[in-house]
Amino acid sequence: MNRRIAIVGIGNTDFNSMTPDVSWKELMFEACQKAYIDAGVDPRKDVDSFITCAEDFYEGFSIFDEFVPDQIGATLRPCCTVCGDGIYGLGNAFMQIKTGQMDVVSVEAHSKISDLLTFGDVVLHAYDPLFEKPVSGPVERQNYVGSPSYPKEKPKPIVGSSNEKNRIHPYFLAGLEMQHYLKKTGTTEEQCAQVVVKNKKNAFNTPYADYEANISVEDVMNSEYLFKPVKRLDISPNVDGCIAFVLADEKTAKKLDVEPIWLKGFGWCSETPWLSTRKMNADYAKMASDMAYKMAGITNPKKEINIAEVDDRFSYKELQHLEALGLADSGKAGKLLEDGELDISGSLPTNTSGGSLGVGNCFEATGLQKSLEIVTQLRGHAGKKQLSDVDIGIAQSWRGIPSGSGAVAIFGR
Amino acid sequence: MTFLEKQTDPTSPMHWRGNMQADYLYLSGVAGDKFFKHLMKNDTFLATKCPECNKVFFPPRLYCEDCFCEIPEEKWFEVPSKGSIKLFTIATIDSYGKKLKEPKVIGLINIDQTDGSLLGVIKTDKPDEELQGVHVEAVLKPKDKREGTLKDILYFKKK
Ligand SMILES: [Zn+2]
Repeated sequence: MNRRIAIVGIGNTDFNSMTPDVSWKELMFEACQKAYIDAGVDPRKDVDSFITCAEDFYEGFSIFDEFVPDQIGATLRPCCTVCGDGIYGLGNAFMQIKTGQMDVVSVEAHSKISDLLTFGDVVLHAYDPLFEKPVSGPVERQNYVGSPSYPKEKPKPIVGSSNEKNRIHPYFLAGLEMQHYLKKTGTTEEQCAQVVVKNKKNAFNTPYADYEANISVEDVMNSEYLFKPVKRLDISPNVDGCIAFVLADEKTAKKLDVEPIWLKGFGWCSETPWLSTRKMNADYAKMASDMAYKMAGITNPKKEINIAEVDDRFSYKELQHLEALGLADSGKAGKLLEDGELDISGSLPTNTSGGSLGVGNCFEATGLQKSLEIVTQLRGHAGKKQLSDVDIGIAQSWRGIPSGSGAVAIFGR
Repeated sequence: MTFLEKQTDPTSPMHWRGNMQADYLYLSGVAGDKFFKHLMKNDTFLATKCPECNKVFFPPRLYCEDCFCEIPEEKWFEVPSKGSIKLFTIATIDSYGKKLKEPKVIGLINIDQTDGSLLGVIKTDKPDEELQGVHVEAVLKPKDKREGTLKDILYFKKK
C-alpha cells in the first residue's frame, strides 16, 4: 500500500505546572475534542483506530490502556496504548494506515505528572534494580506480604519524609552525561545556558507554554548546581498537558477541509539500557534520524531541514541532539547558537515553540509537542514566530532519564 | 476550553489520595547470582568476556549485546575491585527535590581490565576537585556483614 499519510487534525490543552481543575481524563477529552474538530471528523464514526501513549507508573494505574477509550471517543473501537513517547504513536498510526485496514487514526499523549507525588522515586525505578539503583541511596527493606515481619510491622510512611536516608534524585545521570558532552565537544556551560535563554524567550509566542521567561545567561549560570554541571535552570520543569493528532491517508485527507501536512518519515532506536556499556553520545537520535531521513528521501539534512524541534529536557540535550541528528557538526551546535543560527531569524530555527525548557516537560507528550510546533509552522499558523519558506521540519524526542532511546518524525507540506 | 468554568483554588477539588503498593523480588539471574556470591567471599569482582568480539562485560553478563551470542563458563574471570573515574557529578537534592544533608559525589567508574562501568558513590574530602581519570578502589563491607547485593560496596575512594 503506497499511500501518503497526512496530519489532518491537531489539538492541545494549555500546559500548566498543575491542573487541579480537571482530571486526567478530562484533560485528554479536551485535547482530543479539539483535534477532532480541527480535522472535521466525528470520532464515533470517522476515526478507525485510536492510539494513546503512556507509562503506567506516571499515570498511577496498572494496565493503563483499559482506562482509555471513553475520554477519546474510542469505546467499542480498535484502541491500543504505546508505552512510549508520542512520536512512537505517530509511527504506529502511520503503519496502521499503511496496511489499508485504517484510513483515519488518532494519536494522543499527555502528562498529568502533578498527580504523581513521588516522581523522583518512580524515575529511580527506571534504573537497574541490582546494579544501578542502589547508588541512589538506601534501599529500605520493605514489609511486603510474605516477608518474615509482615504484618507485625506497619509499612513506613514514605511520602514527604525527610531524613538522611532519602535517596538521591534520579536526574544525577544528566550531570554525568552533560559532563561527558562538554568535555568531548568543548561546548561550554555558558552555551548551554544560552539554550535556556533562547527557549524561554521563544515560549512567549507559544500561548500554551507555561515557563516562558525573560532571563539572561547570568541568571542561568547563577542558578545553583543540582548535579554539577547541571544547574537548576538547565532542567525543564514538569508540566501537565495533553496533545492529540488525527492522521489520515491521502484520499481521505483531501476530502477534509484542512491543509494536509505530510508525515514523510519517522524512525526510532533504543540503545543498551546498561549504563555500564552505553556511550552517552545520543546515538539513539542518530540512528532514528538516519532511518527517518532515508524514508523521507532526505540526503542533506543541513540543507533540506528548515526547522527543528529537538528534545531539550536538559539544556545540553538540545545541542547534543542537533549534532546527533546531523544538523550541526560534532561540537559545533554551541557555535551555531552563539551565531544566532538557532534563533527564529537564523538558518536553523530550533525549538521555536520554546521547547521543553519554555513549555515544560510534558513526558510522553514531548514528541507530540515538538510535532505540534512543526505542523503549526508548516500550516502557516504560528503567529508572531511564523517562519517564511518552511517546507520540511523535524521533530525529535528522547524517552528521558535514564533512557537511551528516542524517536524522530519528519513533516513536510 | 471545553468547560466554561474552571477551578481556581487548587485545594478545593475533591480528590482521593492513593498509592500503588508495588513490591517485587528482583532476582539476580544466573550471572548476577554468580557475581554477588563471589563478592560475598572475595574482595574482587567477576567479569565475562565475549568469545566472539572479546568485549569484557562488567557487570558480567551471560550474553554479548553486540554479537548476541552466549558467553561460556570459561570466559568468566576475576578483576580487581578498582577502576578509574570516567564521569562524575555532585548531587545536591534528594528524590523529593529537597536539599541533601551533604552533597554526594556519584561517579561512573570504568572497572579495570573491563569494558564496563559501575555507578558508585565516591568519598572525597574535596568534592569540587577534578575527578575524571582518577584511580579509585572499592571499599567493601567486612566479609561477615556482606549480603550479596550492591550494598556490599560501601563506596569508592582514591587509592
Ligand atoms: Zn561480542
